[in-house]
Amino acid sequence: MTGAALLQGGLLPEGLNVSFKLLPSILVLSMLGLFLAIGYVFRVADTEGMWVAGRSIGNVENGMAIGANWMSAASYLGMAATIALSGIYGLSFVVGWSTGYFILLIFMAAQMRRFGKYTAPDFVGDRFNSDTARAIAAVTTFLIGFVYAIGQARGMGLVGLYIFGDIGIPGLSGYQSMVVFMMAITVGYLTLSGMLGATKNMAVQYVILIVAFLVGLYAVGFTQGYSTLLPQLEYGRLISELSTEFSAPFVNESYYLWIATAFTLVVGTCGLPHVLVRFYTVESERTARWSTVWGLFFILLLYLSAPAFAAFGTDLFAANVGPVYGEGGMSSAAGDVIVVLAAQLANLPQWFVGFVAAGGIAAAIATTAGLFIAGSSAISHDIYTNIINPDATQREQVLVGRLSIIALGIITTLAALDPAAPIAALVSYAFSLAGAVLFPMFFLGLWWENTNRQGALTGMTTGLVIWFIPMLNEVAPNYGLFSGMAGEAGVISPALAQWVPAVGSALVATPIVFIVTIAVSLMTDEPDLETKKMVRQCHSPEPMGQQQTAEDVISTDGGETPADD
Amino acid sequence: MNDSEQGGAESESREYRTDGGTATARERSVDYLDAEVNIFKPSTPFMRDHLRIIWTGFVAWALIVFGPVTLTAIVPDAMSTPMPVLGFPLHYFLIAIGAPGGSLLLAFWYARKRDALDEKYGIDHAVTEGSADEDAVAADGGSDA
Repeated sequence: MTGAALLQGGLLPEGLNVSFKLLPSILVLSMLGLFLAIGYVFRVADTEGMWVAGRSIGNVENGMAIGANWMSAASYLGMAATIALSGIYGLSFVVGWSTGYFILLIFMAAQMRRFGKYTAPDFVGDRFNSDTARAIAAVTTFLIGFVYAIGQARGMGLVGLYIFGDIGIPGLSGYQSMVVFMMAITVGYLTLSGMLGATKNMAVQYVILIVAFLVGLYAVGFTQGYSTLLPQLEYGRLISELSTEFSAPFVNESYYLWIATAFTLVVGTCGLPHVLVRFYTVESERTARWSTVWGLFFILLLYLSAPAFAAFGTDLFAANVGPVYGEGGMSSAAGDVIVVLAAQLANLPQWFVGFVAAGGIAAAIATTAGLFIAGSSAISHDIYTNIINPDATQREQVLVGRLSIIALGIITTLAALDPAAPIAALVSYAFSLAGAVLFPMFFLGLWWENTNRQGALTGMTTGLVIWFIPMLNEVAPNYGLFSGMAGEAGVISPALAQWVPAVGSALVATPIVFIVTIAVSLMTDEPDLETKKMVRQCHSPEPMGQQQTAEDVISTDGGETPADD
Repeated sequence: MNDSEQGGAESESREYRTDGGTATARERSVDYLDAEVNIFKPSTPFMRDHLRIIWTGFVAWALIVFGPVTLTAIVPDAMSTPMPVLGFPLHYFLIAIGAPGGSLLLAFWYARKRDALDEKYGIDHAVTEGSADEDAVAADGGSDA
């Protein structure tokens, strides 16, 4: 995966039927219409309602929202793709993206709920009493949204080819035209629906994508004679018939890269702002815990099915299109649509294949919308209003928010025209960033009260720098930056790419950031008592009111201790 | 390995459950806003009990997630034996299904343990939340065998 510069720009999934199809198009457009209608019906008036849904959501409902929020084109398309193309290495994505929720549950979910702030920049800014820390977290949130969305745009562009065909925007390839078209639809959808109804839509989006994925899997498995009732287990018997690359250990990528990727995806899960925000929407910390269990369950429905889809797709591809591995094997573009391709190669009706494709588009649009909202609020709320212009009116804030959504849309589209890697790898760059910069701040901030402002600032800066190095090394040459220095493999330093790969840089970065943050905190003054009490309140077993934050508790009922200040 | 870890935690919990009454009384007098938070130095009995569960779960999780893949790197042939009936090579099954499924079971185990801990320290999340959650709490209290 490291720097495999494939047929870029003109990405064309071989074997996929690229043409305009009426029924699937109607299906996708009416799905978008449904999202807009739901957004309109459940629109909320105040900001509290918008961001945290009144803190009234229960276990199962929040579990579904966690699942919908989580599963993007990377889960729907990218995971099956890496499993099909890289075998056991692809499983590190299944493992990293699911088991990370346990770490989130035991170390952070309930404590975050008790802390009670809406966004990652809010947490970092308030915990470390620093506008600079808030700004770094906001910039990180924006960058995460941007990098994460490139993968979504690639997924929409490829899947859109099946549904709408080559729409032929002059000067652009079929894939590029589709990226522009789908991103325009996404930004338009966001402008029309605003941030309204985002949470209410999540349950619907989850249902659409999980049904599309599972029905697709069952139909392919049943019609092709692979499986009957439990394809998630039955594909085991197919494995021995597939090429050894599908299941032999470490033939595609090394053990080190497997561990680096899985570790990065785990810590990234615990550092992603749009995941943590789900814990503020629940009624109590107990619900925060149980809804994480439910969320993991809903996620596993898809994650245990993806390898089965990959196995079926690989077998069908080998039988109908050509060899999967080696020279002239399956391209990364075909891999990224393997889910749709499998349904098409199984000769299922066109509207049905369109339905499977629509699920992928629902996943991509839902996640892109969430990321863009988080990214634009980081700019308009945390940077513009808090730092640049504290007197900003409501209108100015909304304007800055809109402009940043459009800016995000444009840079994402440009970066996705000639993407550097397959969907799963693109998305894991964002996980590297969240795991290196935000996860250590959340973890230390919650579990060690002496973590202070200086420690956080140094730590976050270190994390950003370590994240940038492999990105410059591997990804920048793909966009023509420093390409003169890049060698044959498209990377500047192959040794660096081997030990600090962009997909798994957090394995190196996160421990270093932890050490730096702890060392600097020890060398400088402890934080003030007020901050420490806020941390202690996050760990106290005493129940808190539904609308309370840790800050409220310590400022209103500090008990007999205010004299200490 | 999951089972043995769970068993260990189970016997531990029985151990400290014997002093449950006094611990609860002691906890009531603790002002948590004066209790230092450091993941390696639990400063209250509640924190100590909670961290014991957390670290037990963490070790079990690390074994489930990174154990099979590491074993596969060390002894690839032994780990790649096909499984009877299911047909998976063993390593494929343990990585693709064992790790995610094991984490879900662990998550369920942790949430149950944490509820039991709440009960031991006399914490009732329903008190401050109004009646919405009361039924759930009562039902769980009964099933805590």
